[in-house]
Amino acid sequence: MINSESLQQQTLLTPQVQDAPAHDDMLNRIGHVTRTLHDSLRGLGLDKIMDQVAHDIPDARDRLKYVAKMTEQAAERVLNATDAAMPLQDDILSQASVLEARWKAILANASVKSEYNEIANETLAYLAATNKNSTDTKALLMDIMMAQDFQDLTGQVIKKITSLAQDLERQLVQVLIDFSPNSPANTKKEPDVQLMNGPQIDPENTPDVVASQEQVDDLLDSLGF
Amino acid sequence: MANPNTKFLVVDDFSTMRRIVRNLLKELGYNNVEEAEDGVIALNKLKGGGFEFVVSDWNMPNMDGLTMLQHIRADPEIKHLPVLMVTAEAKKENIIAAAQAGANGYVVKPFTAATLDEKLAKIFEKLEKASA
Repeated sequence: MINSESLQQQTLLTPQVQDAPAHDDMLNRIGHVTRTLHDSLRGLGLDKIMDQVAHDIPDARDRLKYVAKMTEQAAERVLNATDAAMPLQDDILSQASVLEARWKAILANASVKSEYNEIANETLAYLAATNKNSTDTKALLMDIMMAQDFQDLTGQVIKKITSLAQDLERQLVQVLIDFSPNSPANTKKEPDVQLMNGPQIDPENTPDVVASQEQVDDLLDSLGF
Repeated sequence: MANPNTKFLVVDDFSTMRRIVRNLLKELGYNNVEEAEDGVIALNKLKGGGFEFVVSDWNMPNMDGLTMLQHIRADPEIKHLPVLMVTAEAKKENIIAAAQAGANGYVVKPFTAATLDEKLAKIFEKLEKASA
């Protein structure tokens, strides 16, 4: 009481000067609480799990964002390619029907040579267009196929997140086992899988990661391959 | 283009990617393509003989692509086989490890048809020079 009164007085009179003993006491007590909290967390092994959670949750979030981005890109490529391929097929179809009707009409009536020439030329033009359209359609179909590559990449990322969730769950279960009565604590070490990281979800901003095939080629060149 | 009858083995645990690579190879004129879904199955097939080119993923269950590559290079029967890595692993140490293990090329996913074509052409070109 005396202390707090003198603290108040001093604060009113000279706010800049603090009551050193009271201040130290407060810091001591905060320090003590922090130490106790830290010790009990560490005693439970929770600090490591907290660390891991703090690191893994944003990582999982970024990986899911990557999945969303890749699936969106693939969907767009598929839609673009089918949008472009559809009119080509429509052309092929409608022009074929027109030619069919024309040939039927010509063959039904006795005709002069010039009419034959005309429709023969139209047929040739159609065949030429068919050639080009079929080639274009094939290229678009290839692109549709290539767009499906997301399934491999996002599949790998989803696998990573699934194993990460399992890992967290396993660790929490391990805490329960380790600290239940009559159970010896045991520590397990995860194998080092540094060379199997799956797709890089943000290659531009990750050190020691290549962001493009050119960079792969440059690196191999620099190694003499 | 190299011999269109060149026998390829495409190794990837994702069937979608195996199909894509197979179709790309077909588009490039190579119709003789077989598939394996991990390194163990691939090695068994390769030891059976007849293959002339391997296109492999890295990250696979049972045996990964790098281990498979090391096994290939250690086996006198098949150590001459060209191996092109096609993988999402994009760390520099991956590329260096693959090169050191004796990979003939490295394509990082996602890749384009043109990239695959270019890398295959480059490998065939080098092989021809080496045998000439």
